[in-house]
Amino acid sequence: MDQHNLPGNAASIAIPLRDGDQAAVTKPVSAADRIKSIDTIRGVALLGILLMNMPGFGMGWGFWYEITHGPRTGADYYTFASIFIFFEGTMRGLFSMLFGAGMVLFMLNKKEVPGGTTVAEYYYRRLMWLVFFGVINAYVLLWQGDILFFYGLAGMILFPFRNLHPKWLLGLALLAMSINMVKDHWDYTEFRQKRLDYNEAMAAKKEKKKLTAEQQAAIGAWTEVEKNQKPDTTEVNRHVTKMRSDYSTIFTYFIPQNSSGEAWYMYHGVWDFLVMMFMGMALFKWGFFSNKLPTSTYAIWLLVGYGIGLPWAYVLFEKGMMAFSSDIGGQLDQFRVSHRTVREFRRVLVTVGHASLVMLIFRSGIVPWLMKALANVGQMAFTNYLMQSIICTWFFYGYGFGYYNSLRFHQLYYVVLAVWIFQIIFSAIWLQYFRFGPFEWLWRSLTYWKLQPMKKG
Amino acid sequence: MSINPFTGTGTASLNASDETPVSESPEQTNWQPLDVIRGFALLGLLVVAICDFGGFTTNQQIFYQRGHHGGNYALLTAVSVLFEGKMLALFALAFGAGIILFLTKEQPANLGAPDAYTRRQLWLLLFGLVIAFLLLWPSDILYPLAVIGILLFGFWRFSARGLLIIAFVFLLIFFGKQFWNYQDDKKDYKKYLAVTAIEKRIKADSTTRAKKDSTLRTKDTLLFKDELAKNKLADSIARKKDTLTKKQKEEKGKWEGILKATKYDSAKTASTNKAMRAGSYAKVWDHVMKQSQDKESAWLYRIGLWEIGSMMLLGMALLKFGFFGQRFGTGKYLLVALLLVAIGAGLAWYRLHYNNIRLADYEGYVKKYDIPFNFFIPAENMLMATGYASLILGMHRLNILNGLWRAIGLVGTMALTNYFLQCLVCSLFFYGYGFGYFGKLEQWELYFMVLELALIQVVISVLWLRYFNLGPLEWLWSSLIYRKWMPIKKPAPVLADPVIIAVS
Repeated sequence: MDQHNLPGNAASIAIPLRDGDQAAVTKPVSAADRIKSIDTIRGVALLGILLMNMPGFGMGWGFWYEITHGPRTGADYYTFASIFIFFEGTMRGLFSMLFGAGMVLFMLNKKEVPGGTTVAEYYYRRLMWLVFFGVINAYVLLWQGDILFFYGLAGMILFPFRNLHPKWLLGLALLAMSINMVKDHWDYTEFRQKRLDYNEAMAAKKEKKKLTAEQQAAIGAWTEVEKNQKPDTTEVNRHVTKMRSDYSTIFTYFIPQNSSGEAWYMYHGVWDFLVMMFMGMALFKWGFFSNKLPTSTYAIWLLVGYGIGLPWAYVLFEKGMMAFSSDIGGQLDQFRVSHRTVREFRRVLVTVGHASLVMLIFRSGIVPWLMKALANVGQMAFTNYLMQSIICTWFFYGYGFGYYNSLRFHQLYYVVLAVWIFQIIFSAIWLQYFRFGPFEWLWRSLTYWKLQPMKKG
Repeated sequence: MSINPFTGTGTASLNASDETPVSESPEQTNWQPLDVIRGFALLGLLVVAICDFGGFTTNQQIFYQRGHHGGNYALLTAVSVLFEGKMLALFALAFGAGIILFLTKEQPANLGAPDAYTRRQLWLLLFGLVIAFLLLWPSDILYPLAVIGILLFGFWRFSARGLLIIAFVFLLIFFGKQFWNYQDDKKDYKKYLAVTAIEKRIKADSTTRAKKDSTLRTKDTLLFKDELAKNKLADSIARKKDTLTKKQKEEKGKWEGILKATKYDSAKTASTNKAMRAGSYAKVWDHVMKQSQDKESAWLYRIGLWEIGSMMLLGMALLKFGFFGQRFGTGKYLLVALLLVAIGAGLAWYRLHYNNIRLADYEGYVKKYDIPFNFFIPAENMLMATGYASLILGMHRLNILNGLWRAIGLVGTMALTNYFLQCLVCSLFFYGYGFGYFGKLEQWELYFMVLELALIQVVISVLWLRYFNLGPLEWLWSSLIYRKWMPIKKPAPVLADPVIIAVS
């Protein structure tokens, strides 16, 4: 591989090894060698992810129906629309990209010790612990939207591809995206068939023909679909009551959901992560995240990403989200291909736009204090991610303050703001005294099965 | 020579032509115990799989288990005690050992062992997908072996003791899964009881109202007419409300469904047969696809990881202990084999006994017993599979039946090819787009098919490996891992005159 001709190559990142002892392998990257720009973007992604997660922490699903069928005005609606258009999927996307980049970085930073445990094994052990933390996050901290579990497993697929040339990695990202799209389209077609069968049966009914058993079943099936669009209030209320109960109730309530969720989403949804992880690996190798590209490149990608991505996001919001929710039958009649099927392009474009914007601000040096604050948050991303679960579940669930389903949609974002401020301050103070965030320290210590130095000194 | 990814034998360097044996036997046996274990497990897998392939479904089996206990029942019992679950366990055991062999093998200079290994696993995963979604075999084992193999990679360097401890943790979790699944059934039953109690009360209330109605009816004069009409209206509203809620209905239905699954259902058999005998590939695909997806997602997550993972870890640990080599004496291997198989069979016997009780009256079972009939399956499978392995190792030391073992060993050397062959033949023979024998054969008839396929596999393996050093799919697999065409032909025996070679 012609890695050494690439910007952001090993030589500029790897820590110099004094000798070949095991300690050098496990040595943390010193503060001076950390790539500040990557920490900053990771900080942005980490804080941004809360924008998408907050409704999951704080609201029952009945809300989604209300807002897509409600009046198109008011603080709730505008918050919803802007979050959807600007951020949906992109913060997770950014986080995934940096995870891919981090994977390459991890392998570059460590040097093999002849005869000892290989870096690859440490990589896989590290991911196994991540999977474990993901399980804890979902089952014990009770955050159902956990992504660590999936990141850990998806990361295991990346390993054999780490040395590929970026253009091949980009190809893999496109492949993953295509698989995702085909699967999406498949589901949509299957769903649409229900509607078509129903239409056919209804046409026959209009002509006063005697309906076959299949036609009657088709009518029944579609009526059920339409009925299910509207959430069952009893169910929603039951759910809200559960969420406002004590810890053990929610714990048992979540077990089957977590179990089927993790199994299903890992198998069917892994492409969502892989697209962005492969892209992140490619972009990292091109030097995108390590601030190695000319300003004009970032500017162009900002324009391309936002210029195409955001209008597209608007169309998706109007057609894929609002129209589809309010008139599901009509939309199915009209479109052979769902708007959702092409949503991945939008996601990639807007994500790249976000990343470029952050890079441009970073290198312009206009708000150094903000960049420093975000870099702190990003350096402790793992801690901050778990902390979001801890804070939000305590705030919303019954065993904590029990605010579940009692804030309005836009009010949720006051909580987001509060958490952001807290995390920025906490990270800044913590890193004054320590090398890593507390959970980072735990994770490292578990990976190398040895207590890691924690204090700065 | 080239590396056989399955067995981890052969070398990557082109000039070395010697095959390093896993163990060096003092006796001159010409077979490797691990290959035999793998081959034996592979042939045994079909003994179990043929039931699902051939349409002798769980539902059909219930018919014999609940009915008169004749010859069919005896056959079913024998297969269940000796093979069911044990062959997968045995195959996983050999696969786990193969992981260590592959990883300790010297790899080509440009490719580290971790890379070779992860590529090996990812290609295996792809082969698994082919078997599940092209040959339409939902119970494919390559996919889980590939996935779990990747998960365990970080731990392969652990000591034998460390691996053994993790294996037992996996086993415990598997036990736990069996236990908690049953607790869920119990919970569902309790909910059912609660709902039926409510239903009774509703019925009683309606009866009271009906009685009230009739008392009112006696006063049915013109004066009371309005009153009566009002009462009737109120009553009909009350009755409408007096039904079970959606949730209660679901809870009731859930247990009824569980109960129904323990009974033979001829309609289910008919509909399965119809779907699987459909003439078009697309229709069979439609029917099977969801099963395969469930198996590869939910089943793997809940059961497969612990069931297969525990055996793989045990295989890794046993290899490090030297169990597959010459660690123990002949007597010890045979004694261990006898002991483990005996205990395992005892547990299987216990399981089948309680299964009969369960099938006869599951409601009674749930009320009476605290643990499920299949609680000991994890131990049963592990003990018997290890027992079988020990038996083969004992045979190796005894140096008897060498011809038979050698033949089975060759089947094991070409395990991937043979597994693929099994699935291909069965898929074409049983499914509708092929000969469509699904559900048409009796169980004992199916075993002729198993025997025949076993013979074919032995003959093909013996013949093929006479001329080639890798099975065709092993060769493909190896070539994909190392990204170059591997030599497949056996080097010609060195007896020709060098002059003749030069001339030709």
